Order: sequence, then C-alpha cells, then structure tokens
Amino acid sequence: MNTSRTGPWGGSPDPAEGGRRNLAGLVARVARGDHAAFETVYDQVAGPVYGIIRKVLRDPAQSEEVAQEVMLEVWRTASRFDAGRGSALAWVMTIAHRRAVDRVRAENAATARERKLAPGPDSGEDVAELVEAAMDRQRIRRCLGTLTALQSESIRLAYYGGYTYPQVAGLLGIALGTVKTRIRDGLIRLRDCMDVAS
Amino acid sequence: MSARRHDAHLLTGAYAADALDGAERSAFERHLARCASCAEEVRGLREAVARLGTATAVEPPARMRERTLAAAASTRQLPPVTPARLARRVPRFARRTALVRPAVVTAAAAAIAALAVFQVSTAHQLDQAQARNSAIAAVLAAPGASMETSGTKVGGRVTVVVSPRDHQAVITAADLPSPPGTRVYQLWVINASGARSAGLLPRGGAASPVLADSVRPGDHLGITVEPAGGTTQPTTPPIVLVTARSGAR
Repeated sequence: MNTSRTGPWGGSPDPAEGGRRNLAGLVARVARGDHAAFETVYDQVAGPVYGIIRKVLRDPAQSEEVAQEVMLEVWRTASRFDAGRGSALAWVMTIAHRRAVDRVRAENAATARERKLAPGPDSGEDVAELVEAAMDRQRIRRCLGTLTALQSESIRLAYYGGYTYPQVAGLLGIALGTVKTRIRDGLIRLRDCMDVAS
Repeated sequence: MSARRHDAHLLTGAYAADALDGAERSAFERHLARCASCAEEVRGLREAVARLGTATAVEPPARMRERTLAAAASTRQLPPVTPARLARRVPRFARRTALVRPAVVTAAAAAIAALAVFQVSTAHQLDQAQARNSAIAAVLAAPGASMETSGTKVGGRVTVVVSPRDHQAVITAADLPSPPGTRVYQLWVINASGARSAGLLPRGGAASPVLADSVRPGDHLGITVEPAGGTTQPTTPPIVLVTARSGAR
C-alpha cells in the first residue's frame, strides 16, 4: 500500500464510527470470498446504504432494488477497495449515492421535456430533520449548523436531492460559480468540523 | 471544456457530492488523475459526504438481507487488480466490463477483422499486415474466446478479445480522443511480474487492432499515454485496464 497518499481521513477511522471501526478489515475478508464477513458488512452498512438511496429516490421498492444492487456490488468488487484512498464506509457510500443519482438522472433524461426541474423530493425538509436517524447526529447537526444557509442548502439539494450543480443553481437562482464554491466551501467546513470533533 | 484548469479545482466539492453530470464528471476525473492536491481534497470531502449519508440510515426490509446474501452466494467476485501501483489509479467506471456470448463475439470479430483489412493502405505493408491479420483472425475465431468492452478515462471505448488457447489478445479502440501533442497510446500486459509493452496504438483513427502475445487468464491489459515512440515502463496512470478472462463458454 502506498501510505504516502493517505489523507487525514484515510488512515484513521472516525471514532464516531464505533462498530464500523474494522470495516476495512472485513471488506478485505470479503474480497477473499468470506461469506460470514459479508454478512457482518451487510449488517453494518445496509442501513446507511438503504437510507441514502431512499433519501434520493424516495420510492421504497425502487430503493430496495438499488440498495440490493449496491450490496452485491460491494461483494463483487471488494478486492478493488483500496484503504489508501479512504475509509471503507466512504467507499460503500460513494457506490450507493452514485447508483442512486445515476438512476435519478437516467429517469430524468427520459422525462426532461415534461417537467423541467421539478421540485426536489424533500425540498421542504429542514436540514436538522435529515440527520435524526444518525448515530452521530448531534455532531453532524452541530457541524451543519456552522454552514451558511446557502452552503447547507446547496449541499442538501446536491447530495440529498441528487441534483447536478447547474440544477442547484437553477433552483436557488444563483450563478453556477457560486454553487460550485458554496458546495466546496461547505463540505470543507463539514470535513474540518467533524475532524476537529474527533 | 467547462472544467478548465484554473477553475477545475473548485469542482472537488460538486464531484464528491456527485453533482456533476456524466460529461463533466469524466472531464474532472481526467483532471484528478493529474492533480494530486485535488485527489487529496476529494478524498477528505468524500469522508464528510459519507457522514451526511450515514445520517440518513434507515432499517431496510428484512427480505433484502436474505436476497442479497443469496445473490452473493451465486455471484463470482472480481479478482484483485495487480500490480497495486496501477490498480489504485483506475477509475471505478473503467472497471465495468461485460462478458458477451460467443455468438456476439463472432459478429464483433467479423467487424474487427474487416477493419483490420481496411486499415492497410499501402502495398509494402501488406505482407506484414496479412500475417498479423491471420493471427488476429485466429484469436477472434478461437474456441473459448471472450470479449470485453470497457470505457476509458479519456472517453471512447476499448474492446479486448482474448483467446486462452493462443494466449493472445486483440485490442481495438473506438472514439478515443487523439493523445495530446506527439504523445501516443501504449498498450501493456500487466501481471504479478510487472508491466510489459505490447506496442503502440496506431495514431489517427486508432481503430486498427493491436495483437498482444503471451496473455494469460488473469493478466490485465492497460493503456497509458506516453511520449512519442513509447516507453519501456508505464509513466502515467492507465486510462483503462481490462482483465483477460478465461473463455465465456
């Protein structure tokens, strides 16, 4: 492993992860075909995987289908997980979120003519409500509270809403460049806040 | 291109949140491959984003667990990519490959073979080309040959037909952009003992096939961008990496 590329988050699992602490080790065992390890991985991440997919897609049946695909992808591609590039949890959540937005966008492309930028699936929801289910919800809420309204709104629409940043710009009526920097600045602030707190 | 160098760095957040559309995502991933500080930043932002994701955790239906475990029990896993030095740089989407049925291989093989012939433009190339074409035809017609098509990091697709019988592979590229300046695309056969050059992809249309020898099941075929004339070892991350499989039958 090339440890010189390990970032501040790469090598040290977030203490708030608790039971997910050895997820990377479990994924390594999954890569060797260990079914028992896969069951444990499933039990640790299926909730977050299903949760974020459902947040983006909304439809429970479709979410279940996509979540199952994602879990199978974890099984199939476990050998490609590289601990030097980030935590196992981030790896799994990246697969899950990307699958969800890819599904949304494939559908949006089909119906784009009828409904241009329909309101987000949860555009009325408060950011704090979104994190109720979190094991470390207090910390995340506190960190989200340090963001400006525009930063958290941009991140919410992009990540939970599954919108592209040009769509976010359209929804918020602000310039493309502004959205780009708000998402980046907001995520940097979140990262630093969670890092400091750990 | 919207991801111009001076503002590409600003897209790290939108990329980590999956807020780039397909084209811009690919463009940014090209930039990421060259920008270590961007990659580092993306890594950190992804961890932050993952926490936003876990905050939404919901108990999935119980049946999903049984179904997933059953599906895993009947699903073959991908082998690890070696050497790790190259593997870590291959983008996720480049790993999506598909095995096709032999009938499809045959149809595609016919198309590739036809291309191979049409690429020969002058008479003095003919002898060489004919020998190569018959070798290519043998690979394409071999029993147990498998075909995989994979997208590359810079756009376009690469198709690899592997004959386990001949230990040879035929590689064709479609819609690859021209490499920058005088640079070239170089093909490598990669396994536990390292990377070995299998020649350069033709410049220009880049559609004519390249034949690679001594390709064993489990070896990987990778393409990198290299200085004119090629190099003895890869000097850049691969734009695509495909695993040679044993036959599809």
